[in-house]
Amino acid sequence: MRLRIKFSKLGKVRFVGHRDVARIMERALRRCGIPVTYSEGFSPRLRMSFGLALPTCYESEAEYLDVPLDPELVADGSIICTGWGQGKVYEQHQIQVALSRALPNGFDVVALTVEPKGGGSLQEAVRSCGWTFDILGATPHQVEKTIQQALNSSVIEVNRKKKNELVREDIRQGIHELRLNGESERGPVVIAELAAKPRVIRPSELIDVLAPAAELGVARRTHQWIEIDGQRTEPLMPSTSLQPKEYP
Amino acid sequence: MTINKAAHDLEIRAEDGIIRPQMTSLWPRLEPLLPRVEKPARYIGCEDGANANIYKPDATSWLLTYPDTYEIGLPNQGLQILYELLNERPDAFAERSYAPWTDMEAQMRAADVPFFSVDTHRPAAEFDILAFNLSAELVYTNVLNCIDLAGIEIRASERSDADPLIGAGGHCAYNPEPLADFVDFFVMGDGEEVIADITTAVGEWRKSGKPTGSRESVLHALARIPGVYVPSMYDVNYDDQQFSGIRARHADVQQRIPKRTIADLADWPYPRNQLVPLTEVVHDRLNVEIFRGCTRGCRFCQAGMITRPVRERPASQVREMISAGLERTGYDEVSLTSLSTADFSGIEDVVTDTIDEPGTCGRVSVSLPSLRVDAFTVGVAAQVSRARRTGLTFAPEAGSWRMRQIINKLVTEEDLYDAVRSAYSQGWHRVKLYFLTGLPSEMDEDTLAIADLAERCVEIGKQYTKKASVTVSLGGFVPKPHTPFQWFGQNQPEELRRKVELLRSRLRHNKRVHLKWHSPEASTAEGITSRGDRRIGRVIEYVWRKGGTFQEWSEHFDLNLWQEAMIASDLDIDWYVHRHRDESEVLPWDHIHAGLHKDFLWQDWQDALAGYGIEDCRWTPCYDCGACTEYGIEHVVASPSPPNGGSQGTGQDLTTGHLVPVELRPRAGVGGTQ
Repeated sequence: MRLRIKFSKLGKVRFVGHRDVARIMERALRRCGIPVTYSEGFSPRLRMSFGLALPTCYESEAEYLDVPLDPELVADGSIICTGWGQGKVYEQHQIQVALSRALPNGFDVVALTVEPKGGGSLQEAVRSCGWTFDILGATPHQVEKTIQQALNSSVIEVNRKKKNELVREDIRQGIHELRLNGESERGPVVIAELAAKPRVIRPSELIDVLAPAAELGVARRTHQWIEIDGQRTEPLMPSTSLQPKEYP
Repeated sequence: MTINKAAHDLEIRAEDGIIRPQMTSLWPRLEPLLPRVEKPARYIGCEDGANANIYKPDATSWLLTYPDTYEIGLPNQGLQILYELLNERPDAFAERSYAPWTDMEAQMRAADVPFFSVDTHRPAAEFDILAFNLSAELVYTNVLNCIDLAGIEIRASERSDADPLIGAGGHCAYNPEPLADFVDFFVMGDGEEVIADITTAVGEWRKSGKPTGSRESVLHALARIPGVYVPSMYDVNYDDQQFSGIRARHADVQQRIPKRTIADLADWPYPRNQLVPLTEVVHDRLNVEIFRGCTRGCRFCQAGMITRPVRERPASQVREMISAGLERTGYDEVSLTSLSTADFSGIEDVVTDTIDEPGTCGRVSVSLPSLRVDAFTVGVAAQVSRARRTGLTFAPEAGSWRMRQIINKLVTEEDLYDAVRSAYSQGWHRVKLYFLTGLPSEMDEDTLAIADLAERCVEIGKQYTKKASVTVSLGGFVPKPHTPFQWFGQNQPEELRRKVELLRSRLRHNKRVHLKWHSPEASTAEGITSRGDRRIGRVIEYVWRKGGTFQEWSEHFDLNLWQEAMIASDLDIDWYVHRHRDESEVLPWDHIHAGLHKDFLWQDWQDALAGYGIEDCRWTPCYDCGACTEYGIEHVVASPSPPNGGSQGTGQDLTTGHLVPVELRPRAGVGGTQ
């Protein structure tokens, strides 16, 4: 059995890097006494695997984490806590609440399931990501125009660093959706769905296409899409039972 | 999109009904800079344990600053203790700041963003006090940089009445003179109690509205607090080239500045809420201070001299702090900190109980920094290795027994071999050994003895593991104020380099001994600042003006800058660094009282040169070094005898007995010689 966790990362904590997020999750899991498992060997590590890594400085409403559980401590969808949670038996939503509380402000568990293992690694399974981002130093009018140009082109070339060499690469096939969605206090807001296969395309790469002189504002991942039986779906849907954490 | 409101929206209505503007948040201006810098998470704060909403409009505001990177500064226990204590007070609050890395500094200067707190991103200049932690001398140029980035004049004499007061404390404050031109007040010793006195004095000043002329008054008030040194209240005298003492300018200002010492660590179970950073820092684990002070009497060690006496935390409180801390933070590693952790009464039991704590599921690792080899037994090794093995570092400090008697690090070769055998037999593959070179009267055979020790350790390791190796870390010795070696002329960098080379060529063919060494050039700069007088301020300012920040970092350190600065200031490196002092010389820190009588230190220096070791006074009669008797305090030690194991400085096998006969050698002329 495993825990599949969907969490958000919003506000100042967007500047925390991926490896640090892993450490934060480890500490929260331990604080709650979740019956996690460890790798073998000289220096055992807590087993867990993330969905697609989120670039530092990006926000997200849809991060995923799979945590294999000690099967002996799972019964009927409930888990029996160990360690600092000794004596507690949690149902799914109680785990969600406890984990959310144990996480620093800015991180929230938005959905969670206790489910059988299987289905391959999330990192491999993600086909595309949904994004919303704003642009500093451009007008909605300009961006509207460049979006239309981009969508009408069959080839969109961007620069990419490959082994210290700058290469031109076509990313048109990787842009599944691209549209203007009003304006924030920083500038025009863009909604996009960008491919994760064969390689991950990031919102920052679109800035050169949409407004070459401008800068990426705040980018937020809204979805990670996988495919099950040919259907586009999310690994977990947000559960509605949970109140968002209060900020002091 | 972000959860942070713009600061100008926020106002505070106090109980008296008066609306005061809240301090300004720089976050909206800071946020766009962060995607452009390395490791932006070090500027966001948000740590578990941090105070996000602590603003008290009528309270004295402290900005506690560690003048090095966030990763180095965040774990600092002294800073975290004061942070918590101040925030518990109704009349004070504290935030924290750290030196921005060079890329961030460039962004800040270009965007005109001043030095800020990481808690709420307020400008440093809006605080009443900017208090710096001085843990190392090479951060001094960063202190100037932080003050300048805050938009405050770097020279104390040029500040205006309402500017924040610049304070400094920590071990390096015991020679305050090199920073005397830049810092308004220094604090000597433990900060737990003195911060209350300072808060009160500064609170009065704050209430007065800080009118013209008030800065002089508040500084005068601070100068009357025991343990506080205000350099501008004193005149400095020179006799030709030689510093000849300072003189208080007011009758009510203390002529000799005593240190502050808390009597019992049990009264101060802090930090209660250790900060848990969101990004990786050094010592990223739970740190629990198990005792303060050390009386082993290693003569090179400033910390062991200035933090006396030994004050152990009760074992029960240690256990509570470990359990509560691990549960609150989720860490899987705890470090039991002190100057010599294996000396704690009942250390083995504390380690065992930590690992047996049910909440940790047996997966907590315990790290014991500062281990004396004579107290590291198979028992301790076995306990520590039950969970994940942490790195093991032993510090014999010198290669030969003759040299170890001179520095009073009385561990025998057999002590070291036993400790190393304990480690390898319990599954370690590598141990790290720490040595100093450039010690008083050191000969090449003493240096080469380091190689013999290391190779012998590898041979012992091979009996247990095919992968046995030893890392030798070699530091150049820099004499420190308030130690018996304060009169010693430091080795020239060429001489230090020659000794490193000597050892390197001797160990060249041994693939299992890895040699690492500190830059001898950096030791020279450290020497200039550690025993400098007030004139060295010009040198620090010169190096800073030439861009010499982060001098602790090899990629930024530049000895040329320091040499240039000395020439430009008409000062001589040899005179400050490499010259032996004699008994009659007035030392630039003589007006600071670290607890130790000067004649005690001189006698200990003479004993060193004669090769006499002296025993640890926590388990033997007092010889009146001054640390206890001057302040009416005593050791707080649970066990009346040294830990079992090793020779405990006696040169005898004591592994079987319990009570240790600690009589060493007759010691002439020490004790009550005031």
